[in-house]
Amino acid sequence: MSEFEHLSGGTAEIIAQADQREAEERASRPDEPSLPPFEWLKVNLFSSVLNTVLTIVFGLLGLYVYRSLLNWAFSYERDWDAVRVNMRALFTFTYPSSQYIRIWVTLAIVLALAGVSLGMSRMIGQGLSLKRISIWAMAWGGAVIAGILLTQPHAQRTATGEVMLDDRFQPMRESYGTALADRGWWWFIGLVLLGVGLAIWWSLGDLRRRTTFVGAVPFTLGMLAFLVSTLWWFKWGNYGEQGDIIEPGRTVNDSAKLPWTVLWFVLTGAYLLGRRIATTARSGTVRGLVNFSWLLTPFVTFWVILRDPALDWDHVWSTDLPMALAFIVGGGAILYLLTKPDLGEIGRVIGVVILGVAALTWVSAFLGTYAMLQKARISFLLLALVALAAHNFAGERKQRLRLVLAWTVLMVIVHYMVTMMNTPSTVDAPDEFVGGFLVTVYIATFTMIFSFPLGILLALGRTSTLPIFRVLSTIYIEVVRGVPLITILFFFSTFLNIFLPVGMEIEKLAAAGLGFSLFAAAYLAENIRGGLQSVRRGQFEASDALGLTTVQRTGFIVLPQALRVSIPVLVGATISTFKETSLLAIIGIIDFLRVANSVIPGQTQFLGVKMEGLLFVCMIYWIGAYSMSKFSQRLEKHLGVGEH
Amino acid sequence: MSDTTERTLVETAATRPPFYRDAIVVKWLAQILTLAVVLFAAIFLAREAGDGLRAKSIQTGYGFLDVDPDIALGEGIDTDPATGGRALWVGMVNTIRMAIAGIFLATILGTMIGIGRLSSNWLVAKLASAFIEYMRNIPLLVHIILFFVTIATVFPGFGGDVDSVTGEVTQGPIPGVLHISNKGISIPRLHIDDGFYQWMIIVVVGLITARWVARKRHEVQDQTGAESYPVFSAIGVVLTFALVGWFIHPIFGWVGDAIFAPIRDLLDGTPEALVQGLLAIAAVAIAAWWIWRFFDARRTPGGSAKLTDDDWFRVIFAAVIATGAGFVFLVLWPGLSSWLINSGSDFFDVLANKFGDGRGSVIDDPPINVSMPDVEKRGNFANMGPSGLNLTQGFAAVFFGIVLYTAAFIAEIVRGGILAVPKGQTEAAQAIGLRRSTMMRRIILPQASRVSLPPLGNQYLNLTKNTSLAIAVGYTDVVQVGQTIFNQTGRSLEVFIIWMLFYLACSLTISVVVNFFNIRLKIVER
Repeated sequence: MSEFEHLSGGTAEIIAQADQREAEERASRPDEPSLPPFEWLKVNLFSSVLNTVLTIVFGLLGLYVYRSLLNWAFSYERDWDAVRVNMRALFTFTYPSSQYIRIWVTLAIVLALAGVSLGMSRMIGQGLSLKRISIWAMAWGGAVIAGILLTQPHAQRTATGEVMLDDRFQPMRESYGTALADRGWWWFIGLVLLGVGLAIWWSLGDLRRRTTFVGAVPFTLGMLAFLVSTLWWFKWGNYGEQGDIIEPGRTVNDSAKLPWTVLWFVLTGAYLLGRRIATTARSGTVRGLVNFSWLLTPFVTFWVILRDPALDWDHVWSTDLPMALAFIVGGGAILYLLTKPDLGEIGRVIGVVILGVAALTWVSAFLGTYAMLQKARISFLLLALVALAAHNFAGERKQRLRLVLAWTVLMVIVHYMVTMMNTPSTVDAPDEFVGGFLVTVYIATFTMIFSFPLGILLALGRTSTLPIFRVLSTIYIEVVRGVPLITILFFFSTFLNIFLPVGMEIEKLAAAGLGFSLFAAAYLAENIRGGLQSVRRGQFEASDALGLTTVQRTGFIVLPQALRVSIPVLVGATISTFKETSLLAIIGIIDFLRVANSVIPGQTQFLGVKMEGLLFVCMIYWIGAYSMSKFSQRLEKHLGVGEH
Repeated sequence: MSDTTERTLVETAATRPPFYRDAIVVKWLAQILTLAVVLFAAIFLAREAGDGLRAKSIQTGYGFLDVDPDIALGEGIDTDPATGGRALWVGMVNTIRMAIAGIFLATILGTMIGIGRLSSNWLVAKLASAFIEYMRNIPLLVHIILFFVTIATVFPGFGGDVDSVTGEVTQGPIPGVLHISNKGISIPRLHIDDGFYQWMIIVVVGLITARWVARKRHEVQDQTGAESYPVFSAIGVVLTFALVGWFIHPIFGWVGDAIFAPIRDLLDGTPEALVQGLLAIAAVAIAAWWIWRFFDARRTPGGSAKLTDDDWFRVIFAAVIATGAGFVFLVLWPGLSSWLINSGSDFFDVLANKFGDGRGSVIDDPPINVSMPDVEKRGNFANMGPSGLNLTQGFAAVFFGIVLYTAAFIAEIVRGGILAVPKGQTEAAQAIGLRRSTMMRRIILPQASRVSLPPLGNQYLNLTKNTSLAIAVGYTDVVQVGQTIFNQTGRSLEVFIIWMLFYLACSLTISVVVNFFNIRLKIVER
């Protein structure tokens, strides 16, 4: 396997290091005054003959591509209604519109958490300088005006809306002058942007332009406020009248303006709240709570809010609640006893006994001879794991009670979630109740959540000194990394049911999620291994000198440092997973790529209209992946990774 | 805990801990238990799969490889394969073709864009980074589908030019040589003919000679300091050998009958028991060799081996595994050895045929032949005929997709490599008056390549694996063919295993090649 050693990891790190170097280079340069425009052009574009030629060639190429794009986008053949009308199909597919409030609540929860996190974040930079904002405004304004001048005139239409064709079946176009006069809105937008940019540029001196900053978050919130306000005064489009479109009869504005306005206020309010909390003394606790809520959010929103399970209250009272209470009380008592400081050997023996019971329940359930309730099996297993680790938490009364409290919280969450997952959904949607962008986001999120612990285990196994663990982990990692994701997804979506015991079935979506998680775990393991190897030998020796056990050394000394180093690379892995979810479209799950590629072109109103939807999908993916990669760059700066 | 501190050191050393606290026992117990659980789970799942397949009355086995699959492939070396195995082979060749072409083009393009991103020209740098950000932040699958849809609208329809008299359909831009349409691109196809393998013997001899010549020329250059053109002379030698071999290759016609046929006959005559025995002996011998080396490594300068309990566990484990493997070869799985014999003999049979004497005259029947594109008419619809090398719409979509997507990543890697070269190198190169292009070629890129090569290898692996997305646009790569076959025959598991082995083989090949260069670059460093 030594062939692979050199090739592992690599790409993400080398790019990250390059970004780091460029940032350092930028930071090391003194803050120079800006050049006058002509000087700037001379230095950056026309410094030599070769550079001048390059500028002209690539400038013309850029203009040509820009012009083709504009002509394509504003051609009479385009049907952007296909995207506007199908906005809901793209994002949530067949989620029923009568239940749509659930989507909005989910979004509100996510945005509230995001707002608080942003408000409390310690890695906000100094923000955007007015110089930058001014240049952006001028550049966009210039681009819009250049666009007006470059785009070919509209095709003429008859009174009924048909495009008029000449005798060579080419559309008859307006004269160029009329076309320029026709684009009033564009002129307005372009000139306003240009004007704002120029006003900022001229009203402030160079030094003040460069040293006055606007916070990035307030700036973004302002932009969002503008976008949301357009819903109130600009007509974004109608939903169609036909049955195959999600919400017939209403307009996009009708169904979206109020929710988005509320969501904007939720986001802004949460941001301000976060700012306020960050300055208080208890900010550390709140930060922990918020992070914990982030972890819970995908589960709660997916299985409780979106799925809307109808609880069978009789069963809850007779079985679910008593069982939960039994595990909370019994487990808590056992853990309280096990953390007694002078307990000695007996604690481990009890832990092993519980583990044995747990293993027995799982094996017997798997063999089908003894059906114990799933929740009891899970709880037993968790109890055994916590009990085995309990001696690490031995201490005074307060510390022991804290462990019991943690156990109680864990049990409440596990029992609540498992009950919810096992209760049938009431959402009235065919087959799976999620589709479109929703399924993309959830699969990506759950993949990261589930593959993370597995990736850590595999990385530890691969760096372990125990040969069998090492070999097993290495084989797993290299085999999974050696085959394409699509074959693994085929395996899980097509063949998995053959492998399962008779009577056990797995849903298509769950199978896909499992495939994604197992695949991502192998890659994550390699990333984490890189982090593990960066932990200095001295740390190991120091923890050995302190007399820590292997588990303690790994859990308290090595892993925290290793994970901190690998955080930026882990964000990179998240981006990859986010992009890889597009493969769902191949294995027959209707994610938003598939909506754009086959659902919309199949609607009678938009037969064969494909490119528009695909371009929209491109845009969403791009925004998601690009913002995550920017986030990872900032994270890297904040963590100071790579500065040794 | 309190009583352990009261013990003296001597007491602790003298009494071993109870076995359940003994670190070594626990360690090995945990490992062996884990292995047992993994093996148990594997066996359990395999049995369940067997039951499941029987319950659904799905047949298993690799018989489908020898049966006519009755499928037509869109493109490839054989569009109407006679057997399932042949169909998969066509898919594999398509994948490899795509991967090799993609790797070449993506590397060139990526290097150019990566250098462009660091250009001092603002516009070039911005355009390069816009390209990179656009490509790498959108999933490859979306790129491929976009290209697929675009090609259908941009390229002209097929069979636009119809001769009004004969009704014969031709296709531009160069009829009979180059056909471009929205069905794809058709170009002349080179294919291997009889005598190719004999010719290859001569070419390989030429390569070895060329290497020797190049080394000699290098020595001359090192000693005299005069330019001695080692690369050009090497290329000249190879070309000379190839050209001469083109005409005289039949002189190696004896190789098949004289070398490979006897090996085949020898394998045919080999008794099964012998192979079984050899396998078992090999298993035991490898374990023995490993144990011997292990003892050797643990030997103190005084000569006696000092073994800890941990070491004993390893040795025992190795011995147990070897015995188990021997048992499997001898008793549990006797079919393995006969399968090995048969496939070995088949392999040499193929070689004997391929190297058999070439037929026909050398002039009419060269080792490599060309066939030109043609037009085929099925019913009223004209289409690309089977004669030329057809790059379909699907091929073009996947090809542009993976090349541009990977090029974006390669560009980032190249940028990273260039930035990793210390600034002093650039300054020194400028100080001795090198031109920008010479500096790039001779100073920066060689050093950058040392940093970039491992991640570059990773990108090549990714590119090869990404060709599997071809299934979305119907390009007949190995995954698409495999899926068609398992939809028809139900042999899903077998197809999955073939996929896995194929991709693992590709990955391994690329790693070995990249590592070869990696090691070479490292030696230069010293």
